Amino acid sequence: MNNPSDLSLFFGRLHPALVHLPIGLILLLAAAEWLARFPRFKQANANAGLILAFAVPLSMVTVLCGWLLSQAGGYQDQLLAWHKWTGIGTAAVCALAALLYSLDLKRSYRACLYASVLAMAVASHYGGSLTHGSDYLVRYAPQPLRGWFAGQPKPAAPAPNPADFTQRPVFAALIQPVLQDKCVSCHGEEKAKGGLRLDSLAAVQKGGENGPVVVPGKLSEGGLLKRIQLPPEDEDHMPPSGKNQLSADELALLEWWVAAGAPGDKKLAELKLPPVVERLAQARSGAAPVVAKVTPPKPLAEVLPVADKLAEELNIAITALSPKDPWLQCNAGINGTNFGNAELAKLAALGPNLRWLDLGGTGVTDDGLAPLVHLVNLTRLHLERTTITDAALACLAPLSQLEYLNLYGTQITDAGIERLQNPKLRQLYLWQTKVTSAAGKAFMEAHTDRPQLERWKSEIDQLQARIREAQISVEFGLTLTNAPATNATPVNAECPVSGKPINVAKTLIHDGKLVAFCCDDCKAKFQNDPKPFLTKLALNSTTSEAKKNP
Amino acid sequence: MLPQHEFLRNQTRRAFFKNTGLAAGRIALGTLLFPELLRATTAGKGERAHPAMPGLPHFAPKARRLIYLFMNGAPSQMDLWDYKPKLAEMFDADMPESIRNGQRLTTMTSGQKRFPIAPSIYQFAPHGQCGTLVSELLPHTAQVVDDLAVIRSVYTEAINHDPASTYILTGNQVPGKPSIGAWLSYGLGSEAENLPAFVVMTPRWSAKRDAQALYQRLWGAGFLPSKHQGVALRSSGDPVLFLNNPPGVDAVARRTMLDGLAKLNHETYERSGDPEIQTRIAQYEMAFRMQTSIPELTNISQEPQSVLDLYGPEVTQPGTFAASALLARRLIERGVRVVQLLHREWDHHTDLPRDLPLQCRDVDQACKGLILDLKQRGLLDETLVVWGGEFGRTVYCQGELRRDNYGRDHHPRCYTMWMAGAGIRGGTVFGETDDFSYNIVRDPVHIRDLNATILHLMGIDHSRLTYTFQGLDQRLTGVDAAANVVRGILA
Repeated sequence: MNNPSDLSLFFGRLHPALVHLPIGLILLLAAAEWLARFPRFKQANANAGLILAFAVPLSMVTVLCGWLLSQAGGYQDQLLAWHKWTGIGTAAVCALAALLYSLDLKRSYRACLYASVLAMAVASHYGGSLTHGSDYLVRYAPQPLRGWFAGQPKPAAPAPNPADFTQRPVFAALIQPVLQDKCVSCHGEEKAKGGLRLDSLAAVQKGGENGPVVVPGKLSEGGLLKRIQLPPEDEDHMPPSGKNQLSADELALLEWWVAAGAPGDKKLAELKLPPVVERLAQARSGAAPVVAKVTPPKPLAEVLPVADKLAEELNIAITALSPKDPWLQCNAGINGTNFGNAELAKLAALGPNLRWLDLGGTGVTDDGLAPLVHLVNLTRLHLERTTITDAALACLAPLSQLEYLNLYGTQITDAGIERLQNPKLRQLYLWQTKVTSAAGKAFMEAHTDRPQLERWKSEIDQLQARIREAQISVEFGLTLTNAPATNATPVNAECPVSGKPINVAKTLIHDGKLVAFCCDDCKAKFQNDPKPFLTKLALNSTTSEAKKNP
Repeated sequence: MLPQHEFLRNQTRRAFFKNTGLAAGRIALGTLLFPELLRATTAGKGERAHPAMPGLPHFAPKARRLIYLFMNGAPSQMDLWDYKPKLAEMFDADMPESIRNGQRLTTMTSGQKRFPIAPSIYQFAPHGQCGTLVSELLPHTAQVVDDLAVIRSVYTEAINHDPASTYILTGNQVPGKPSIGAWLSYGLGSEAENLPAFVVMTPRWSAKRDAQALYQRLWGAGFLPSKHQGVALRSSGDPVLFLNNPPGVDAVARRTMLDGLAKLNHETYERSGDPEIQTRIAQYEMAFRMQTSIPELTNISQEPQSVLDLYGPEVTQPGTFAASALLARRLIERGVRVVQLLHREWDHHTDLPRDLPLQCRDVDQACKGLILDLKQRGLLDETLVVWGGEFGRTVYCQGELRRDNYGRDHHPRCYTMWMAGAGIRGGTVFGETDDFSYNIVRDPVHIRDLNATILHLMGIDHSRLTYTFQGLDQRLTGVDAAANVVRGILA
């Protein structure tokens, strides 16, 4: 593979844009000839000469650009050869047609023209395959059609089966789909830019012209991650700008995979997956999320009467969180141990509307917490100072919205908090429990998405760098404070002599203050004898001061 | 004439038709416009002491409760929070006239021939991850500075204690407006059935005895129904007087007596319709329930030693700031909406280096203890804590200036307060004053803005919590000026 110069690449890349012009013109010529066979349209081909005069040079230039582009390499040889020769053929036959036209050999001209359309159709097909992949057009065609075109049905994706999913090899299950989506259109079988293919594990391990793209266990080496993480405006950023970019989750997945040693055949079940990867795996497996079906909350007007009645009956406080949303907050802690399991069961009637629930210091026990599974929209839950143990935490599993959980002063242990899997949990209070600080720290670490935080931090750094770059600082140096600045504002808004509006160019300094006048005459009068005008000036300047500081 | 007779004489036929006709019209219009009002009354709130106003909170609140630590007398900002290193070289220099700029002074210093600069003699150091500068007088508070949003640019217009305290706590310098606690009780109601919605404590202090007086209007209900006024717990002896039944009266007899009294009061209410009678009935009931709830509240024997240690050694002496801070936590745990501690004698016109350290020692460790205790219980997340006084103090010395002794006069143009807890971005320093801590140079926060922010965190739009009185839609932030929520300290 030879290295083409920048200039030749520049012209080469015009090929995909230029190519559509001769295509259109040649099709137009053919259509005109065909129409001219009907008496009604016999004038249709009257301007064929003019069109030919455009089409022939354009097709030549296009072929030339295409040839330059092919020098850059990275295309499957066979496809490229077909495209090249059919393309050259099209241009050549088109030129021949023009010759025949000028010799007034209309029949041969027509035959030649139709032949060039035919050659062009073939060339276009291969060109499309080179750019978009061979099955681009028919990938989403209805099944029979696809079979007829491609000769064979597209291998169906393995039926999503959540149980099997964890048994699949990690590369095929998680990594390959991402590469297939975002990379393989340029780094695949038909087109392998930079000599790199990413369509199989072996190819990924092999790397490209610029060396290995993945170094197992080393995030900072290997071109794959490096290029993805470059700022989008960087020339070497991948995927190139304008192409479909990787999502933050997908990047996190690749990072995890590389850091884990880029395993290929290990099964998902054998690997420890961080939350973000777990989430992606869940999505890929097609399994329904584990959260219970969330029942939508009822309108506030409907539940408030029920809530008021319950509050009175149970001697607790239940109020709306705001009039705009259907959410309720409930403080049962104010009734202390008089509020127990039976009372909690009655609260289930408010089900999906309860947002905040304070059971701190109440008499609820492990056996009575089952009604919590109905409170699917809870975000804050106080269970502190109750007698609950680890067994109670099983009831919290369906609370997918839970952000705040207070367990201080309970019998919870290390084993208990390990079971907590509420995805949105942000605050957990464990003072005076049996949870060791080591277990607490481990829990915190396991539920903190470090790579994501790091990425955001680096994003902030980049943004700050851009802010710095976007600013300009202009240095004036020191100004002498006792010399009146030339651009100072006058103290008055009206001329002290005439009372007319001031002209800021006609000023003088009186008693250390900049005084402005309407004209040179007034200024001269003031200079001669300022006294008669001073009262007016004082009035004048106070009013303008007052305007400044209301 | 007896009031009863006058009342009966006014019940004429015309008055009857006028009143009933208007009332019927009002009900009809009201139910047409706001059908939920009728539902609320017919659904029956029973005897619930403090329901929230309909439509409140306006939006989901960050804070469920407020603990307001009011340092009455005005703590010196440049000796505690507002570090001014450049003053060190200006000892006894005259304050530049350009800084004062015609500012109104109190009569205590307006006659002074000169205004010599008194630099703080206290060392400042950065604390916490945020590195906020805190004076050596507050070594404990400095340890929790990562949880505080320190606002160095609070200002007010009042220059004397009475109007200034009334201004910041009721929104107006003129007495007669409801206090912030009363507004919150009125707007949000109380969750506690056995305790008032708004409890006030006035802990004792250590510096000189002659401190500024406190007035009940600082926690009063103003024109709001009087059940919303703060209930002040006494700082020595029984926290609430006459809670114990008198000798020879047992609980049953007490109940019978209260029931009979309530019946009579109800009959009076039926006749006159005065809402204050309902307040009276509710207060008798509240007092009865407080006969059990207050002894339980003040019994701190169950508090573990580790918790007591947080608040400092004085926590076991009733009436100290530390003991009151612990009670504040216990009160909000029991559903009380607002707890206000008013600590007196921060008014150091003279001998500041003698008195300020004593005052700081009273509150410093207890402030830290309160923050940490709330935090470990997961309550800081739902509780807003506010610390500060009614105005600041001057950079120039009042009276004789010595290297080791000075005093400071009142200064309304800038001072420092801090907020912590629910919805507050900890570790923030907001606002900036000039090199003399005299004028604000960045992000001024009027006390109205501060009150609007407190209401905002409690889920209230300050412009929509109103009460019609004297022909105006009265509100905590006043009716004549704009107030803005201080977004820069919000999480």
